[in-house]
Amino acid sequence: MSGHVKNMYPQLSISQAARTLLSLLLVAAIDSMNAGIACRNQQCESHIQRSSKLTRLIHMESVDLLKIYKASQGDLSELFCQMPINIVPNPNISGLDPSERMLSIYSHCKAFLPHLKRVTEQQRDLQPPSSPLLNNLTTAQYRTSGLANQIKCIYQTLFPNLPIPLEPVDGPTSIHPSQNVFQQKVYGCVVLKNFKELLSQIRHELRTIKNQMCKSRTFAYTNALF
Amino acid sequence: VCEFVNLPSGIMDKSSYRLLQLLSLAWLACRPTCSSITTYGTIIPQSPLVEIGKEFTATCVVYKAAKATAEDIYWKLKNVTVPKEQYTKINDSAVSVTITITNETANWLLCEKKGSPLNRNQVIHGILLTKGYPPEKPVNLSCMAVQSGRKISSNVTCTWQPGTRDEILKTTYTLFGSLIVSNKSGKAHRSSGYIDFGTFPSFMQLAMWVEVENKLGKVRSDILDIYAADLVKTNPPSDVNILSENNFSRTLLVSWKHPIHVTYVTLKYNIRFCTVGSGDWTEVPPNDTESYKESFRLQYLKPDMEYVVQVRCIHHMGYGYWSDWSANSTARTPEDKPTSKPDLWRVIIPSQVKSERRVQVMCKDPVESNGRIQGYSIKIQDGNWETVAVNDSDLDSRSQERKIIPLYQIPWSDKRRGLIELKAWNSVGESPQASLVIPKLTQEPPSVEWLSWFTQQGRLWVKWQPPNVTATGEPYRSEVTEYILEWVSVSDGAMDWQRERRHTRTAAIKGNLQKFNRYNISVYPMYSGWTGKPLTIAAFLEQGAPLEGPSVKVRRTGKNDAELEWMEIPLDKQRGFITNYTIFFITGGKEHSIVVSTDTYSYTVKRMASNSKYVVRVMASTVQGSTNSSDLSFNTLMYAPGQIEAIVVSVSISFLFSVVLTMLCCIYKMDSIKKKIWPPVPDPSNSTIAKWSPDFTSKADTPNESALGDVSIVEVDVFDRKSLCEEDKAGLPLKKDKYLSEEHSSGIGGSSCLSSPHQSVSDSDEGGDEGQTTASTVQYSSVVASCGYKGQTPCPLPQSGSSQTPSFTRSESTQPLLDSEEHPEGPESQRYLRNPYFGRLPGGNNGDSGDLEDLNQMEMKKQGLALRRFCPLEEDFQQTTPTEEGHSPDGQPGPDPSYMPQLSGYRPQC
Repeated sequence: MSGHVKNMYPQLSISQAARTLLSLLLVAAIDSMNAGIACRNQQCESHIQRSSKLTRLIHMESVDLLKIYKASQGDLSELFCQMPINIVPNPNISGLDPSERMLSIYSHCKAFLPHLKRVTEQQRDLQPPSSPLLNNLTTAQYRTSGLANQIKCIYQTLFPNLPIPLEPVDGPTSIHPSQNVFQQKVYGCVVLKNFKELLSQIRHELRTIKNQMCKSRTFAYTNALF
Repeated sequence: VCEFVNLPSGIMDKSSYRLLQLLSLAWLACRPTCSSITTYGTIIPQSPLVEIGKEFTATCVVYKAAKATAEDIYWKLKNVTVPKEQYTKINDSAVSVTITITNETANWLLCEKKGSPLNRNQVIHGILLTKGYPPEKPVNLSCMAVQSGRKISSNVTCTWQPGTRDEILKTTYTLFGSLIVSNKSGKAHRSSGYIDFGTFPSFMQLAMWVEVENKLGKVRSDILDIYAADLVKTNPPSDVNILSENNFSRTLLVSWKHPIHVTYVTLKYNIRFCTVGSGDWTEVPPNDTESYKESFRLQYLKPDMEYVVQVRCIHHMGYGYWSDWSANSTARTPEDKPTSKPDLWRVIIPSQVKSERRVQVMCKDPVESNGRIQGYSIKIQDGNWETVAVNDSDLDSRSQERKIIPLYQIPWSDKRRGLIELKAWNSVGESPQASLVIPKLTQEPPSVEWLSWFTQQGRLWVKWQPPNVTATGEPYRSEVTEYILEWVSVSDGAMDWQRERRHTRTAAIKGNLQKFNRYNISVYPMYSGWTGKPLTIAAFLEQGAPLEGPSVKVRRTGKNDAELEWMEIPLDKQRGFITNYTIFFITGGKEHSIVVSTDTYSYTVKRMASNSKYVVRVMASTVQGSTNSSDLSFNTLMYAPGQIEAIVVSVSISFLFSVVLTMLCCIYKMDSIKKKIWPPVPDPSNSTIAKWSPDFTSKADTPNESALGDVSIVEVDVFDRKSLCEEDKAGLPLKKDKYLSEEHSSGIGGSSCLSSPHQSVSDSDEGGDEGQTTASTVQYSSVVASCGYKGQTPCPLPQSGSSQTPSFTRSESTQPLLDSEEHPEGPESQRYLRNPYFGRLPGGNNGDSGDLEDLNQMEMKKQGLALRRFCPLEEDFQQTTPTEEGHSPDGQPGPDPSYMPQLSGYRPQC
């Protein structure tokens, strides 16, 4: 499939190839969560504020991403997104208290990362390297990874005595090993659709958590930020 | 190939280095020679990298082939021997040296063996020292990410300050960026670099730092732990637009668009504006624009004014960097009616008509004209409002400078007092009314007490003392309401004015004054519209040397002085107040100078050398410099005026005086002079000979007749001087000159005969030429009668026959003969001829006198001897005074003398 794609777009420039390679390296780097700087002891409000803004940014980009995805899949793009697929994580945030819901946010972010990575790989074979879809998918992974880390830091700040499970709360992500092009397109659309929905819920959850957790701690600072 | 042990220096510690050194020495000492080139030893380490400022130790190991011991070894840094104190003997074949590396340390370190007195030193081995500094820590790291398209660029560019030392060694700079999710790095230049994060890490925390590395080590800058928003510099706001709304003459609505989506960066804005061309920006208070908005209404602007607006933005929390200012956007506020009075003023122009002046009414636009002034309405005293339209070309309300608009020029009697009112109007409405009272000439309110000026910071300042006004019965209020400063350029007559408040005492002239230009500045106190008397002073914004020197001319030159005269430099060329004039005059290479005051325009230079060339110039000076006139040359006179005349007069007087003295002397000493010139001759009448004259017995002794031809015939004028003159004057007025000539000639002849009787004697042959009237000497003679005067009837022959002896006199003269002599036939001739003394001896055959002449001739012949005898006595005869002539001493006609001198004697000249 890869060879087929290359044959279809032999006019690719070196810069595009370099950009693709860079994206691959970036995605590879996402996995090494401990490679970057550690969490800093920041104000609750500031933490959640930044995460909220990042969530808003990712959500806005996910909306655009879904539009670009549908536009780049050709005919029946709307149909692809309506097909039910079980392997895609549910975007609903679960949990009863803020710690559980925070942990659910973190788990969902982590759970979506391999799916985004898979979609990116699939679309790299389906789309030309210059397609903005690939960059946006890479950026989505990059930002989601960052968001997951920020949520983790917030969780550690707000709930320093609660451990963070190594595996996602909802269990390990299962990815279907082999798919045809139709299945790939349906899969990618459902992943992006659920991803967008997840971000929408995270925005809502973070706003709630901020009100619940940070109001009593740094009231003045909150007002300054907003 | 020989193998050497290369040990890094400066990195390992001393103990390990020493251990390695010993091992190497042991190995080197045991190793066989493996090269065809004979080696005498080696230095450890080989080609080391040494750090400047640190100590470096090298060891020289000597092989057997060198035939030298440790004592024979010494070190050299190129050509300079390292002192022995820095050596350390390790064993018999190894010596180490420790040197401190500096910038000046030579690159080559040589190990040599001391030679014998006959042989030169032998180099055992050498190494090349590579010097350098370890890397320096970069400081002041800052990073920035600019907007690219609709997002923030993934490239983060950083700058820092590298070390100050020269990088002798090759140094690499690497920029690192670390996120929670990944680490990034990128090669950098010495002071800048960038990292491409792939996607800008919005809302993430990241760390940035720089690593610097060379062969001497590696160093890292401080980590810049930064929030991603702190890196952001967005584009300036786009589509900045300004909307001018009618009926809102003092506001403009500014709108723009966010340069980037709010999800990336939430921005706040900054707005500034200024009038076109001013460049004096006014910023809108940041609090008014800190919200995330896309429009703002500028307020409190001036109507009908074109404004330039710029907008910029930054993260709403102040993170990151301000964007650049947006491009200029301009708009004009709508017009409004004038809200201030026009600036009304007047200039009084003296009129030729007595007791009248001319008033030039002028004005400037209102300060707040709020639009283009289209015209003015003016009313003078009780007249009607008149409209003066203003052409577009005459006025540009948009310009910063308010032009002066002449409105009216009217004659104004000195005894007239009047009120002038003025209003300006534009397209929206009229301005408030301005008024000005022109008082009677005798009722002008008082002027300020005094006025002075000074310059400060490139501006001309005026200072004055307010007038001392006391409440009187004058028609005006006694309080000064404002002052008007008026200035007039002397060079071109341009004038302007400005108003100052009543409490102002010092004010700067706001006009565009020119340097070196003279201005007459007047201060008018204003009394509720009444114009007070002005007080005027001349001033300069900046003084300079005069543009030209004075025009000099020499008014008068004398023997020792010269009067110079020069004209005052024209006011527009003085360029300052003339402080003095300096007169330079140069002669003989010496220069002298005289300083005179400014009101001097002529000067007499004294003590000058006479008849000398002088070069003169006059220098006009101001406080800022001086300018010379052109050189003027002139010569002083040799004599003072009148000196020559005085000399001539004095010489003439002296001459005349001497002449007079001489004459007086001559007069007083005449007798003695006469005696000297004419020595006294014995009077024959008193001679004893006269007593025996009848006795002719002695005639036998006289020469014979044959000698008669040698006897000189002397003509003796025996006429009385007085009678001759009178007769000539009375009877021959027309012949006066000839008479005088004749007499003169006779005198000369007589004199000649008297003074030199021998010279007057000539041959008788020459007597044949008598009668010729040539220019040559004419000798003539006449018979001198023994009695009678000229004109008298000669004595009758019978009477003279016995007692009178005719005598012949001869004269030498160049004078022509008298007419009577030439033409004896005339009446005068006849009259003369009656005198026998005027007869001619030769050729005397004319007319009636012929007989007498013949008779005389006969008588002469008879008495020839007697004549010859008496001739030598002629001198004595001529000395006879006229009183003695023809008279006896008793006054009676005496008996006829027997010879002529006794009868007539000398006749003086008339």
